[in-house]
Amino acid sequence: MTDTTTIELTDDVRWINVCYPHEERHEHVSVYLIEHGDRSILIDSGSFYHRTDIRTRLERATGGDGIDAIVLSHSDYPHSGNISAFRDEWGEVELVASSGSPELQGLADARRCTIGGSLEVCGRRFSFIDPPLADRSHTTWIYDHGSEVLFTADGFGSYHEPGDCDTVSSGFDDGITETAIYEYHRHNLVWLRYVDPPKLRDALDEIFARYDVSFIAPIHGHPIHGDDRRQYCTRLLNAADRIASEHTVPETPD
Amino acid sequence: MTNSREILPDVYWLYEEGPDRSGMIEAMEPIPDWYDPDDPVYIPQCAYLIDGAEHSLLFDTLSPASTEHVLAELDALLDEPLEYLVVSHPDVPHAGNAPAIMAEHGAELVAPRYGDDHELYRLDDALLVGEGDSIDLGSFVVDFHEATFLDAPVSLWMSERTEEMLFPVDWLGFPHHASEQLRFVDELEHDLDGTRLLQFHGRVLFWHQYVDVDKVQREIDRLKRYYDPAWILPSHGLVIRDDALAYMDQLKGVVEEIQRRERIGTLG
Ligand SMILES: [Zn+2]
Ligand SMILES: [Zn+2]
Repeated sequence: MTDTTTIELTDDVRWINVCYPHEERHEHVSVYLIEHGDRSILIDSGSFYHRTDIRTRLERATGGDGIDAIVLSHSDYPHSGNISAFRDEWGEVELVASSGSPELQGLADARRCTIGGSLEVCGRRFSFIDPPLADRSHTTWIYDHGSEVLFTADGFGSYHEPGDCDTVSSGFDDGITETAIYEYHRHNLVWLRYVDPPKLRDALDEIFARYDVSFIAPIHGHPIHGDDRRQYCTRLLNAADRIASEHTVPETPD
Repeated sequence: MTNSREILPDVYWLYEEGPDRSGMIEAMEPIPDWYDPDDPVYIPQCAYLIDGAEHSLLFDTLSPASTEHVLAELDALLDEPLEYLVVSHPDVPHAGNAPAIMAEHGAELVAPRYGDDHELYRLDDALLVGEGDSIDLGSFVVDFHEATFLDAPVSLWMSERTEEMLFPVDWLGFPHHASEQLRFVDELEHDLDGTRLLQFHGRVLFWHQYVDVDKVQREIDRLKRYYDPAWILPSHGLVIRDDALAYMDQLKGVVEEIQRRERIGTLG
């Protein structure tokens, strides 16, 4: 049976949570739907692996109208896997992407958003933020001014137990565990082996000083309520420190 | 446009220039002395074909903007269908032509065993390789490695034993002029200096902004000892066949420079 539910984060932002099962834990490979008047904007498009499920839920959530735009965090396949399919399904779907060379990324007709800049999409304002937690160069975090939700692509993820697929950070007694945060980042942001955690902390602090955040909305984890942000960040920095200390590099011989 | 160069007998460098990146260099302060405003600047996609005595292997595929070109190059350079297609990581500009090449050649797909989302990249049926795995092509033997400096978690590096070649993928890339296309670094008029390496690594491996510099520098020293390559064949630069260790060493200063600056921009 296909799940046709979506989870409301704010009045106009819904979490469309789908999971990929690893051995004992799940990884979210989600998308988010923003309703703006009679227009619907999708943040990322998900993986081909979840195509039917995401399409069914979008169909239901939009009363059959489908989406009007996709704002893409980066071209990585689990984020960009349904762009053509959804455009074939719903026609005239505008694609907004940060890639500076979209033809090399297979996104030839994308409208460019500049990291560090802002754009209106379907009449709604978005800002595009340089992400300190990412892997691909052209990745952008996407801030929705209307809802104050920050969509963080591959950053702020966590793996989860099979029973916790629908849970938002505030649904846990003690927030998202440090272990879940550690496991996700160790597997997915491999460069954290070299991280100097205070530099990462400063970059995150700068972003949160500039943007009020109602939710942090990762593609690969539970949405994090604004009230839980500090707790998550503390655990994230501890996890980053652990990932770095587990990767030792020998001293250079004289 | 794609073209190619035989860099050693039976080893071919396939090249895709991509868009003109002059703006990147013009924004530098001061503008480096190797820059000529009348000559476009490229940060290419490179793929490498090794046509061994027994088997052939292609390392990466160029971007989807070059599907026809890469297929035409393979037809021109090989007498038989391609046997192994290695994707260094499932990033579109590296792996985007894998389906087209597989459809035409029926090659065995070889992919990194690192990372845990292979199915989401349609790599679950590939031959998964990493540190300790090798393929004997007859006359050449390639070894696979865990990628050290990378973007995607599903990543590998490759080396080749006979000619001591290192394929470090997204590491050691750099921009060059149109007039320098498919030249070896030792054939350039201007040295490959830190300004070129900074433009690439500050953008693509932007995470160097947040690292422990000393640790990365020690890692570079370890790589020099471990690989000690005669050749460096980067995915986004020109081929180095002379003084390879000196260019690896140069990255140490580049990492320091990335930390001194704000992020210089993106690429891709
Ligand atoms: Zn991702
Ligand atoms: Zn789940």
